Amino acid sequence: MAGIGFELRKLLKRDSLLGMMQAYAYASIISSGPWVLSIIGILVIGLMSVSMVVPEFLITQFQVSVTYLIAFSLTLTGFAQLAFTRFTADRLFEKRAHVILPNFNGLLLWVTLLTGLFGTLVIIFLFPNQSVMYRLLMLAGFVVMSDIWIATIFLSGMKQYKAIVNLFAIGYGSTVLFALLLRPYGLEGLLGGFVLGQFILLIGMVILILRNYPSDYFIAFDFMDKRYLFWSLVWVGFFYNFGLWLDKFMFWFYEPTSQAIIGPLRASLIYDIPVFLAYLSIIPGMAVFLVKMETDFVEFYDNFYNAVRDGGSLEYIEEMRNEMVFTVRQGIYQIIKIQSIAALTVFVAGEIILNTLNISLLYLPLLFVNLISVGLQVVFLGILNVFFYLDKRRIVLVLTGLFVVFNGLFTGLTLYLGPKFYGYGLAAALLICIMLGFKYLDKVFDELEYRTFMLQ
Amino acid sequence: MTVLKQGQSADIGLLLEGTYPFVSGGVSSWVHQMIQGFPEHTFALCFIGSQASDYGEMRYQLPANVVHLEVHYLHEPNGKVPVIKRKGNKQVFKEIRCLHEQYRHADTPKGETASLLTSIMQHRNEGRYAESDFLYSRESWDYITEQYRARCTDPSFVDYFWTVRIMHSPLWKLMALTETFIPVKVYHTISTGYAGFLGALMKQRTGKPLILSEHGIYTKERKIDLFQAEWIRDNRGTLTKDSSEVAYFRHLWIRFFEALGRDCYHHADRIIALYEANRLRQIKDGAPAERTENIPNGINLPHLAQVRAQRSDTIPLTICLIGRVVPIKDIKTFIRAMRTVVNQLPDAEAWIAGPENEDPDYAADCRSLVKGLGLTDNVKFLGFQRIDELLPKVGLLVLSSISEALPLVILEGYAAGVPCVSTDVGSCRQLVEGLGPIDRSIGLSGEIVGIANPTELATAIVGLLSNPDRWRAAQAAGISRVERYYTQEQMFGSYRSVYEECLNKSDALAATPTSCPRGKH
Repeated sequence: MAGIGFELRKLLKRDSLLGMMQAYAYASIISSGPWVLSIIGILVIGLMSVSMVVPEFLITQFQVSVTYLIAFSLTLTGFAQLAFTRFTADRLFEKRAHVILPNFNGLLLWVTLLTGLFGTLVIIFLFPNQSVMYRLLMLAGFVVMSDIWIATIFLSGMKQYKAIVNLFAIGYGSTVLFALLLRPYGLEGLLGGFVLGQFILLIGMVILILRNYPSDYFIAFDFMDKRYLFWSLVWVGFFYNFGLWLDKFMFWFYEPTSQAIIGPLRASLIYDIPVFLAYLSIIPGMAVFLVKMETDFVEFYDNFYNAVRDGGSLEYIEEMRNEMVFTVRQGIYQIIKIQSIAALTVFVAGEIILNTLNISLLYLPLLFVNLISVGLQVVFLGILNVFFYLDKRRIVLVLTGLFVVFNGLFTGLTLYLGPKFYGYGLAAALLICIMLGFKYLDKVFDELEYRTFMLQ
Repeated sequence: MTVLKQGQSADIGLLLEGTYPFVSGGVSSWVHQMIQGFPEHTFALCFIGSQASDYGEMRYQLPANVVHLEVHYLHEPNGKVPVIKRKGNKQVFKEIRCLHEQYRHADTPKGETASLLTSIMQHRNEGRYAESDFLYSRESWDYITEQYRARCTDPSFVDYFWTVRIMHSPLWKLMALTETFIPVKVYHTISTGYAGFLGALMKQRTGKPLILSEHGIYTKERKIDLFQAEWIRDNRGTLTKDSSEVAYFRHLWIRFFEALGRDCYHHADRIIALYEANRLRQIKDGAPAERTENIPNGINLPHLAQVRAQRSDTIPLTICLIGRVVPIKDIKTFIRAMRTVVNQLPDAEAWIAGPENEDPDYAADCRSLVKGLGLTDNVKFLGFQRIDELLPKVGLLVLSSISEALPLVILEGYAAGVPCVSTDVGSCRQLVEGLGPIDRSIGLSGEIVGIANPTELATAIVGLLSNPDRWRAAQAAGISRVERYYTQEQMFGSYRSVYEECLNKSDALAATPTSCPRGKH
């Protein structure tokens, strides 16, 4: 997310409480990612419709359908997310901004075609009993959301953070609004409203992109060029997203923990709700880490490499290295502190929250475990971020690959062991990957000057 | 590496840095003369240059006894050694630390440095210390940063780092070169520096004798280059900069070449200077005195004896400076001196014989100085002249240079019966006053004056030209000095005995292969 630091520093430079709060609010929206917003969106739609849509089961069907759309669109576009982020960052660095828009169009075309094909096959063969309207809306929603994830990357690559924030407000606002307006039409109405809102979001994004980044030609596929394509990033993007959803998939398709909701879609009520609630606690931790990374860390990072290039003394270079280490350490401490506070709050208020949301108190233990997992996930993401800065793609690939393996393995084990262990699989997988990540960080920072000078 | 002529083996391996056969000049002509002077020996030539683009075509027709010629460029980027992270061998780096420690202390006994260098070469040959260890290993990094911290007074680490890398990269090429060069019986290097270091490595590897002939003093010339070099960075700030203190990287380069020179001196069996002042300089720079000697350049005496026969009995009042019109010859001092000379000897005439195209500005300055001093009738610029036509008409040769080595023109003048007044540079005092008691007993063949001193120069010129007895004594001394010490035959004779001795030594080594010189000093 190169570039956001500039905006954040501008806000922090005002040196006022308001500026700082703005910076953190800003950071939280950017960092928590649109998919947390989407989850909030469907929860809100659900909550506000509880008494209006009859039967209530329709709301669950709607929520599960959208959850699947989010999960699959994120996982599949994962292949393109990081690789294309890197592509735009590199081109911007080369001052060749004009090639970015045609490539965005090129990538969008590919994503639309592939997800469209995938979605069409799915609705034809896997949803024989659903209405044509539902099937078409699912297809449309799937393609639109996939395109949104790509456009989001593109926007963040183009340092258009404010625009993203405004757009999300409009997009999710209209999503909730349309869904509520159309809810008299049942499941199709809710879904139609959601898809319409998402479509408006996408249109807004595309307009913004086209307006801000004109180019001489319309479409290009340079991003697939061998010179520009980092295969490691393609896989990292997929592994990370797949890893994050893997335990959910497993709970959905394991008979004892799930039930069929609509067509082939299954959900695990005992697992999903605590997980999604827990995810909401991610926001403060992500914001804190983002601010730390993009302001302090980047400053020392820049100083380090400037000193290397422009002939700083070894003492200074090492000092900057140490400052980088210090900010990373501080950032991680702060995540842990903030997440602990968030977790403690939920621990204390858990009962009240569940009662308010009309959710059985049986979910409470699982919610607590998931709070820990989510906290760990922020730390994990933080570590990955540092490695991205240091361009350690191979390490990130190993870590995310192992994350997929461990999450699959441990979640499987907890399913086998029984309900008391549910939720610990993801936590254990993240914990191991974090430990490993720390070990790598240790080594990378220890060798940073050696590698920078000797092994270039 | 390019092999221009492939041989199997040779008697003498000539190690040539930036000279014959691709560069013309005094040293190159001498090498050519030497190869031709020893038709009974075969020569293998190893030319070491900086980059291919710095040299053109071969300037000499290779004599038939050159059986092998290969060309190496030390600063030519060759295939990059693949980057592989590695630890490096602790023991090897311990030795490297010791070696550098010894380089820093110029007074280290010769044997210790030699045995360490041998041992490190051994590590290299047996794979414990490859170039990639130097470039990429952690040990290497630790050593470089340790040294930077301990010694570097320039703040820029990146410059230090690259200076170290660039400095060492030719050494790896030289080490690789020792493996491929064809077998020879004796190595003969014509300078210290890289070629000299190569000689030292060759000597270590093969045990064959090493001869060093130095015309100039390589290390000194390098120092002058390095002091003027603009590519060496100096990153000290305005406040921290003490201009009396040499920039660290300059200092580092100077010490590097000094160390290369010392390695060559330590390994050479015979160290040959052109003249005494240089021999003393070599000793000062670390050459063991007992292995040093002088072998001056020689001239073709019979030819110049004929020139002498053309002289008239009277002493011509013609004072001649033979040399290019460039600042280093300090022509202006000569012109100023002529003002005083002409005041006392109105008929005296000065000839300046040499090309003026090298530094046209300086030449124009000289001409306007002549006009300014009202000497247009007495000082003439002749351009390039053949000495056999010029010398019979000359009464006195003058050298006002601020730097010389062993100027052949003085010897040629002697042989043609012309005494000489020269500044006290290079070998000039030795040529005029004699070296050692026997040489000195021959008498003065002219006079030595200080540099940039027109009055002293004028007094010396007038003193000789206005006193026929002194002049004739000087002429006679010059003739007998050149006949006795500075003929081509003498030079070849001296080198013949050097070559013979070393070739015999080499044959003896070959006969007893067990006496490989390793370690036991």
